Amino acid sequence: MPWSRFDQSHAAPEGGGRIITFKDAIREAIDQAMIHDPRVFAIGLDADDKFGVFGSMLNLAHPERVIGAPISENAVTGIALGAALNGLRPICIHLRVDFLLVAMDQVVNYIAKWRYMTRGRIKVPIVVRAVIGRGWGCGAQHSQSLGGLFAHIPGLKVVMPSNPYDVKGLFLAAVKDDWPVIFLEHRWLYKNTGSVPEDMYVLPLGKGRIARAGNKLTVVATSLAVIDTLNAVSGANLDVEVIDPRCLKPLDEELILTSVRKTGRLLVVDYDFPACGFAAEVCAVVAEKAAHHLKSPVQRMTFPESPMPASGILEKAYYPNPDSIAARIRAMLDGVC
Amino acid sequence: MMTGNTLTRELGWRLLRKLREIRQFEERIIPVYPTDVMVTPVHLHIGQEAVPVGVCDHLRPHDLVFIGHRTHGVALAKGMSMGSLMAELYGRTTGCAQGFGGSMHVCDPANGLPGSSALVGGSIALGVGAALAARLGKRDQLVVSCFGDGAADAGVFWESLNFAALKSVPVLFLCEDNGLSNVMRKEDHLHADPGVVAGHFMQVWRADGTDVLSVREAAGEAFAHIRATGRPALLWCATKRWMKHQGVEADDLACNPVDREKDCPIRKLEQALLSAGLATQAEIEQLGGEIESEIDAAIMFAEQSPFPDPGMLATEV
Repeated sequence: MPWSRFDQSHAAPEGGGRIITFKDAIREAIDQAMIHDPRVFAIGLDADDKFGVFGSMLNLAHPERVIGAPISENAVTGIALGAALNGLRPICIHLRVDFLLVAMDQVVNYIAKWRYMTRGRIKVPIVVRAVIGRGWGCGAQHSQSLGGLFAHIPGLKVVMPSNPYDVKGLFLAAVKDDWPVIFLEHRWLYKNTGSVPEDMYVLPLGKGRIARAGNKLTVVATSLAVIDTLNAVSGANLDVEVIDPRCLKPLDEELILTSVRKTGRLLVVDYDFPACGFAAEVCAVVAEKAAHHLKSPVQRMTFPESPMPASGILEKAYYPNPDSIAARIRAMLDGVC
Repeated sequence: MMTGNTLTRELGWRLLRKLREIRQFEERIIPVYPTDVMVTPVHLHIGQEAVPVGVCDHLRPHDLVFIGHRTHGVALAKGMSMGSLMAELYGRTTGCAQGFGGSMHVCDPANGLPGSSALVGGSIALGVGAALAARLGKRDQLVVSCFGDGAADAGVFWESLNFAALKSVPVLFLCEDNGLSNVMRKEDHLHADPGVVAGHFMQVWRADGTDVLSVREAAGEAFAHIRATGRPALLWCATKRWMKHQGVEADDLACNPVDREKDCPIRKLEQALLSAGLATQAEIEQLGGEIESEIDAAIMFAEQSPFPDPGMLATEV
């Protein structure tokens, strides 16, 4: 199969190299996947419109394999699945994760379960892209993340990349994979830049990275929360290890546990709702497997237990940010909380 | 196999065998089911056999059919072996899904059965996607989305119709209209005839879903249209469900009046064959006996097959 030809994992380039945006890294991954494999096609509401899904679908080599769909998310997600069951490798696109909820029947009842129900006789190579996160005053129905909601379902892989290098390698890995992958892209990362190799490369799904090494406390964060945490830590010169698991599922437990065994403290920064969420899952893993290494109780920073507000002043109170993350880390290190 | 609506012995015999395989397979489940050797909800196809048999007679192994929860008839019509299906009902490793699927989740990739869904409606979209894949891959492959009248209540049905029409997806929407959504009569769950509305999206055929020759003829025309135009089509087959929605009891005649003499697809075809001199009563009885022996073998195969290893629980996930 053509995908076996480039399973090398590029090391993240150290400085220099070609600098492109997160958005262009996704675009390049989609373009290369479609050029590389004629079975790859994209489908979704507004997938072919002039804005090109926030620029991530513009100027592709194979526009004939981009199918714009009507506002029929549930059927269209099922159509993508049906195409996957019949030999293609669809990329199903949802402009916002909130819209993907309309297709939860297909995602949870069909996509996640088809391979299990058929004992692997039918593979399900589908990538469901969804753009997540806040805009500016976008409110309750255009700002959600919901990674934990998908990770709760057996049969789905959930990827939440934080930087341009990762997003390209993880996206190509998702297209290559014979399992369904939910690929969640935070819109505030789209303009961020970083070094990205021009070649195709894949990063293994389920392998995290140490985004910053440190000794006193482990912060586990994904997507935009990684960037905010790195800004919080570097600005305050805190001796903190920042773990970016890249995938909520499969979760790189060993990377997290190794770090916590070293630092003895855990903070999970998860830009999502708190109850039964990803932060709770990471805390549970550490409680089960490394509790005796902890010097203080595990902590979570998440959204409040409420939907997103619209007004700027309310948004400011709602969302964690580098300052509030730094304050929480300091309090933990000082033993205040 | 696409044309030829004249009833010949070869055609009639082929259809009768399939109709009887389904009927007799289902009838053998009835006495066994209360003993709990099959711990899976069954939705029997008795009375509706003409629809899958008439449609699948046109299909080759690599043509695909997507099914809902009422799976047995379509699976057998499409070529799944009785042993594979029976063993799945018995929850054994030799079942089509190794005991992980049950009655509502059967699959047989080699015979064009990519899986089935217990949720009403959603698999309609899967058929559209598979047909889209066939078109994009320029493959000679027919795809059928099979569903009941209850599924026409669901948004995914209308979304799928619209998408297939809009994008010229060469799929056959096949409605096995038994007039009931579980226990709800059609007049209580559908405001208007979806076939009429669907006619604004694509060409619609209608057939008597208790008459396999009627279904076969209409399906042949619909497939010819799909092949010639690359467009979708809808085939609406009014049929009769003899049994309760789920389980092995006969349905309540007060809410679902069925005349088992008049509405029987097997009886209709047998009478046509007999009156045309294409079969004798003795031959038909012999066929029934042969099929019983095949079912005996399927049951024995299932009973003697091992149960799945609980250690396999979290695999393929």
